[in-house]
Amino acid sequence: MPPRVVVVGLASDFGCQVQMTNIEDQLLDVLGRIELSYWQLASSGHMPEEYDVAIVEGAVTTGEHVALLERIRATASAVIAIGACAVTGGIPALATSGSLDDHYACVYGEGDVEVACGRIAPMPITSVIDVEYRVPGCPIDMDEFTQVLSRALQGLSDCIPREPMCAICKTLENICFYERGEVCLGLITRTGCNARCITLGRPCTGCRGLAEDANLESAILLLAERGVSREDLMTRARLYNTLEEAFTR
Amino acid sequence: MFFRIMDKDRLPDLVAGLSKGFEVIGPVAKGERFVFERIETPEMLRLDYDTTLLPPKKLFFPPEEQMMRFRVADNEVVDDEVYAAPRVIFGLHPCDINALMLMDNVFLGEYEDPYYRARRESTMLIGVSCKPTDECFCNAWGTDEVHWGFDVFLTDLGDRYFISVRSVKGAELLDEFVATRDADESDTAAFQQHTRNFKNSFTDDLDTSQLPLLLDAKFDDPLWDRLGERCLSCGACSMVCPTCYCFDVTDRLEADGKTGTRVRTWDSCQFTQFAEVAHGQNFRESRASRVKYRYYHKQWGYLSKFERVLCVGCGRCARACLAGISPREVVTALEMGGAS
Repeated sequence: MPPRVVVVGLASDFGCQVQMTNIEDQLLDVLGRIELSYWQLASSGHMPEEYDVAIVEGAVTTGEHVALLERIRATASAVIAIGACAVTGGIPALATSGSLDDHYACVYGEGDVEVACGRIAPMPITSVIDVEYRVPGCPIDMDEFTQVLSRALQGLSDCIPREPMCAICKTLENICFYERGEVCLGLITRTGCNARCITLGRPCTGCRGLAEDANLESAILLLAERGVSREDLMTRARLYNTLEEAFTR
Repeated sequence: MFFRIMDKDRLPDLVAGLSKGFEVIGPVAKGERFVFERIETPEMLRLDYDTTLLPPKKLFFPPEEQMMRFRVADNEVVDDEVYAAPRVIFGLHPCDINALMLMDNVFLGEYEDPYYRARRESTMLIGVSCKPTDECFCNAWGTDEVHWGFDVFLTDLGDRYFISVRSVKGAELLDEFVATRDADESDTAAFQQHTRNFKNSFTDDLDTSQLPLLLDAKFDDPLWDRLGERCLSCGACSMVCPTCYCFDVTDRLEADGKTGTRVRTWDSCQFTQFAEVAHGQNFRESRASRVKYRYYHKQWGYLSKFERVLCVGCGRCARACLAGISPREVVTALEMGGAS
């Protein structure tokens, strides 16, 4: 029996699930290896009680999300977190900078809000449950996603890269943004996207999260030498990442 | 070796002629910088280039290459052919030709690499003289000169090229595609003067004479910790290095799970994963140790085996490193007594 897979979305724009529909070339091949039991974006049914692999998109922003994740963790033998929201907090976690109450009041007005369903400070799903696999990025890279899904189906371990982006960027012979006096977060951001934005002429904005190998302290110093303050760098990096801890340690 | 003279305005004839029988690759402009790419028309070739973003090693040992395809069901290799079209790389500087010879020691030595060999054997090399940039320190290793390892070498004498012809194939190419004449005494004198001027144009004279000894003596120097604090562990230095040859090999399954490819990609000793082994052990865990061993490998380990350092002073790593770490700085610090 092929593994039963569910695709679930928490707080996000469902962009990564949309992205999954964009792999026309490989979608049928992938579907041939699994039993797709539920896909929140694309199916009208309900999530089944039993499944083997859960693919989860989005950040955790409510108590309901926490309960759902705990249920998923208890059911699935493998959980794949996809997208910046699920892996590093993404755009929803921007709300954790400054006062959360003020941000909510700005959108919903004063007092308790029913639609928020037990709101909590937004966080990546990896802050709530352990996951076996992570596919970072905003949106996810579909080649990487199919590789990770393939690894999950084979029971291989996660192989999320730990290095910053500069190496692959060099192999693509991009001209470094720092040579033009522009700030690029590639020097601290996790590689694995083939430096796509940089190759298309845009500096890296850090959507794949802080690379484990990155030397943040050195990056802060060398950016300061180039007139970019620690605060400015953190503001830039915060777009997709909950990084206060990393920047203040 | 023998010598010929070609008028400079004949250069397009040579490039156009070569293009009939070969894929011609040379330095072309990319924004403010240069890259080795296929030359479609003679005007694309920019022999006035300073250096290229990536060295020519990419043409023999690509950043990513498929080694073979395999079937999952019966574990059989489906395709492990190396495609290597006949080609000419036009416009290599002496440092890059020297670097290829250092790569040959590794890929064509005790453990021969069929992928590298196929590309190397199908490729002819035409060198061209250069001027030192601010980052160059080839003079420190003697790699500002090149006497073999090429088919043809062009030295720019202003209105003409002084051509050193090293191989029979090189001589045949010249005969076939371009009008040249024998070098006379005044040409040879101009060539000698050019060489003297070139040697004198290096403003920096790095003293590398005691380097192996210094490396032995400074193994525990705090210099390495200081460098480790600055190093971004980004691997940019390894990628742009004409002599870094480390690679990783991974198997990738296709989406249907029935076939896969074995892929070789450039690796860097600056990554934590590089020296990580089973059970999570890592014998180069600290950044300082990784930076240190990059230098010990290049300036000591390789030297002890091949009697050359694994560096040609091209300056690409110094230019690529956002943290400003350069071999020139490291060697100078060692000469001056390290960090202490």
